[in-house]
Amino acid sequence: MSESNKDQRELIHMLHDTQEKFGYIPAHSISQISRELKISESEIFGVLTFYKAFALKPRGKHLITICMGTACHVRGAPMIIDEFERKLGIEAGETTEDNLFTLETVNCVGACALGPIAIADGDYHGQMKTREVDEIIKKLKEGKNKDIE
Amino acid sequence: MKVIIDGKKIEVEEKRTILEVAREKGIFIPSLCDHPQLTPFGGCRLCIVEIKEKGGYPPSCSTYVENGMEIKTKTPRLQELRREILELILSEHPNACLICSEKENCDEYKSTIRKVGEVTGCVLCSNNGRCELQDVVETLKIDKVRFPSVYRNLEVKKGDPFFDRDYNLCILCGRCVRVCQEVRGASAVSFVYRGSQAVVGTVLDLPLLESGCQFCGACVDVCPTGSLAERGIRYEDLPDERATTICPLCSMGCELKIDLKRQKILGSKPSDEGAVNEGQACVKGRFLIKDVVHSPRRILKPLVRVNKELEEASWEEALDFVAQRLKKFKGKKIALIASPQVSCEEYFLLHKFASEELKTENVDSSYRFSPLAVFDKMVKENGLELDLNFEIKDISRAKTLFLIGEDIPKSHPIIWLEVLKAVKGGAKLIVASPAELSLNRYSALWLQIKPGTEFYLLSFLSKLFLQKEQEADHPRIEGFDSFKDSLDELDLSKVFEMTGITREELKEASELLLETENAAFLFGMGLTQHPWGSRNVAALWNLALQTQAQLFPLGLENNLRGVSEIEQNYSDKGLNFNQIFQAASSGDLKVLYLAGPAPYLKKANLEFLVIQDSFTNENFKFADAVLPASTFAETEGTFINGEGRLQKFNKVIDPLGEAKPDWWIITQLARRMGNKGFHFKNPSEITKEMIKIVPSFSNISYTDLEKGQKIFTQEETRKERSFIPLKYSDSHHKKSKKYPFLMFLDYSLDYYRSLSLSQESRGLKAIRDSRWIKISPEDAEKLNLEEGESIVVESSSGKFKGFVKIVKSLPKGILGASFLLSEDSDFSVSGLIPSVFQESHSLGMLPVKIKREK
Repeated sequence: MSESNKDQRELIHMLHDTQEKFGYIPAHSISQISRELKISESEIFGVLTFYKAFALKPRGKHLITICMGTACHVRGAPMIIDEFERKLGIEAGETTEDNLFTLETVNCVGACALGPIAIADGDYHGQMKTREVDEIIKKLKEGKNKDIE
Repeated sequence: MKVIIDGKKIEVEEKRTILEVAREKGIFIPSLCDHPQLTPFGGCRLCIVEIKEKGGYPPSCSTYVENGMEIKTKTPRLQELRREILELILSEHPNACLICSEKENCDEYKSTIRKVGEVTGCVLCSNNGRCELQDVVETLKIDKVRFPSVYRNLEVKKGDPFFDRDYNLCILCGRCVRVCQEVRGASAVSFVYRGSQAVVGTVLDLPLLESGCQFCGACVDVCPTGSLAERGIRYEDLPDERATTICPLCSMGCELKIDLKRQKILGSKPSDEGAVNEGQACVKGRFLIKDVVHSPRRILKPLVRVNKELEEASWEEALDFVAQRLKKFKGKKIALIASPQVSCEEYFLLHKFASEELKTENVDSSYRFSPLAVFDKMVKENGLELDLNFEIKDISRAKTLFLIGEDIPKSHPIIWLEVLKAVKGGAKLIVASPAELSLNRYSALWLQIKPGTEFYLLSFLSKLFLQKEQEADHPRIEGFDSFKDSLDELDLSKVFEMTGITREELKEASELLLETENAAFLFGMGLTQHPWGSRNVAALWNLALQTQAQLFPLGLENNLRGVSEIEQNYSDKGLNFNQIFQAASSGDLKVLYLAGPAPYLKKANLEFLVIQDSFTNENFKFADAVLPASTFAETEGTFINGEGRLQKFNKVIDPLGEAKPDWWIITQLARRMGNKGFHFKNPSEITKEMIKIVPSFSNISYTDLEKGQKIFTQEETRKERSFIPLKYSDSHHKKSKKYPFLMFLDYSLDYYRSLSLSQESRGLKAIRDSRWIKISPEDAEKLNLEEGESIVVESSSGKFKGFVKIVKSLPKGILGASFLLSEDSDFSVSGLIPSVFQESHSLGMLPVKIKREK
């Protein structure tokens, strides 16, 4: 493998760094990475849209992720999503207009025994019930996420 | 090595796939993602086979043959699996027509055209039956699709030039992605998104225009469905005839297949058999041939000036009129401008006509502007001879490539393919250019050079080499000492500051060049089009001698080499291109015969002006007679491409209207003027005479010409080479307060005779408009200019109009414009004549200012 190809393997790392820094992958970063790694912009776009870890739009201040793996699904995850969607007034994959909340789904977070699971700003809430949704949103707004039992 | 396919014993070579071998032996295996020009992909799974003692059903396109393999391609189990796979593919592709029970009747009467939803039926697909998916459905005899059909309902992308992209018809075979990446090196499209959302797309779903696409059409040609559909043939019927000829739009000489319907050109495609292009083309050859030949600007009847008006006339009248008038003048008062885009035969005939009948040596053509002509002149001035004994394919074998003065994926797309092959094979590419180019992605080193300082860069590299070589006991090439002395005299102390290139970069460049034994230097207009272009080439020549590199002047017009060979046969004592136009306006000429592209005449101080052209142009208003010439598609003859390959091009359609081939017009005129030497009835008779008269054609036989495709070399032996002492002067244009910009002039090859391609084709105009004035974002912001705004460029000698094009990669203080002889007067850079034409035929770099048009 030639030297330039070695560098090209850095693509995912660079995308991770960018995602971490900006909360999403801005267009100018794609150009920059393209120039640095000598990979075309369309090819980079192909890679970054393949992985759910990378977002193309800025996410809201708070990120709520609902697990849609099989176990969570059968234990009622769709209802949890519906409730979040209703309460936040957005659909899964969208961000609220005030840029406070982003609602996303993933396909299994590997904690099936605790399903259905919602992850609010990195904190796992197992065995979710629809009536807990309100509280999670409230606590996130108040910045007291960790206090939720 | 032997394999058995379907019971047949077959002798095979190693490293071949089962599919390749089967195809060669006429064993049909259905496949959709495989393509001979592309690497195996194994995506569609239709080409699965059974191999004895191996489990599963491996795809034959990506399984290589092994000794003794027993392969079965058509077992009932395989067919069943294939049908199931195909049904899955069809579940996402409109298929109602494919499996409709009334298909047979419908094919004939289209009776059920409205029984299916529009998006689901083949009858409304623009591919009109040219569909590999349909073929496979037929061979596998699919009559139902068991899976629910899914229409993806994606928006059809219609915003780009030349073709639409309807990914609802896409089967994700990835051919377009692979051809764009592997063969063309553009990677403008890629698979984007994932799983059921996966689709072929561009970065941020931008239009192709903004994603590095060169619109070569390679993706359209490999697409097995109607996903990528050429817009120009959308509503046309299927062709009834297909002809082969040579593209006249650049010096590559790509072989094209021309689709015809009732003597009208529907479109053109690259020919797989083309020795130069091997199934590839560029935007011009792929999409513009039809526009050129059937342009509404064609003139189809002779015109003669009667009482101050140009009026239509018969050929008899027009020829008699011209012949009679021409007879009155002889010698130095007459000049003839020929075209480097006509055949060798016609160019030869124009010269013969001028010398025998008009008795003038004032014959020239715009070939003077080419790097080849500048190169030729420089070498001759130094008492040497040109060595052009190279092939384009040599480029792919080079280990180090040095590219200076051209953006080849745009200007020479087919040469770029060879460069790409070399780079993919491990060659190192060094690029010297002021602006960042898309090909930099493939370069080992980019020297961002300040425009106009190439001479210093090259001289400095020579000097670095000299220091390294002093220890080595190199065989001395002639002229070495005076070259060394001249280098010592050069003041290169400020080279880094002048060129903008760092010491480290220069060192790296010299090391890359030193490492290799097989280097190729490609140079274009950016190097030669300077007032000191000739010195630039001399510096490159020396560097090439030091590094034993092969020099490749990047050609321009299709028949440049042919023209240059024929020109060797004639005296160059007459007026040259620039002098002719100066004389035409000063009144030193009486008669001008324009049979080739010419700058717009501001005033014509002439007694008689004849124009022999295929398209109307502004010079018509001074013309006394216009003789309508047919285009390349309506006649036959030979071109010699940039590498010296003799190519026969064929008549594809009958001449349009009353247009006649150039050779016929000249022959008729000469006969009417009483010359018995012009007895030619067809181009091949001219060829025979030309071979006898032009010395460099002497070793070619007529049968070679008939066959075409023979590499034409001047002489087999390598020419004696010698260093050229470098001269130094700093007489070049400088910016001033009054003229704060330096303007670069690209010699635009986007023309055919007097037709500007970007003004003729809206598609090309969107890609590159010859009226664009390129400017850096910084300058545009400072002057508050917006993209597309109309501006006026002014130099000390004139002005012209253009449209703002903001180019990110352009440095501050630099403007770029296209120099195109076939441009309308208001927009033509030739409005800046005389300072545009330097004495060395260079376009130079001009100090200019710009202002908003009021």
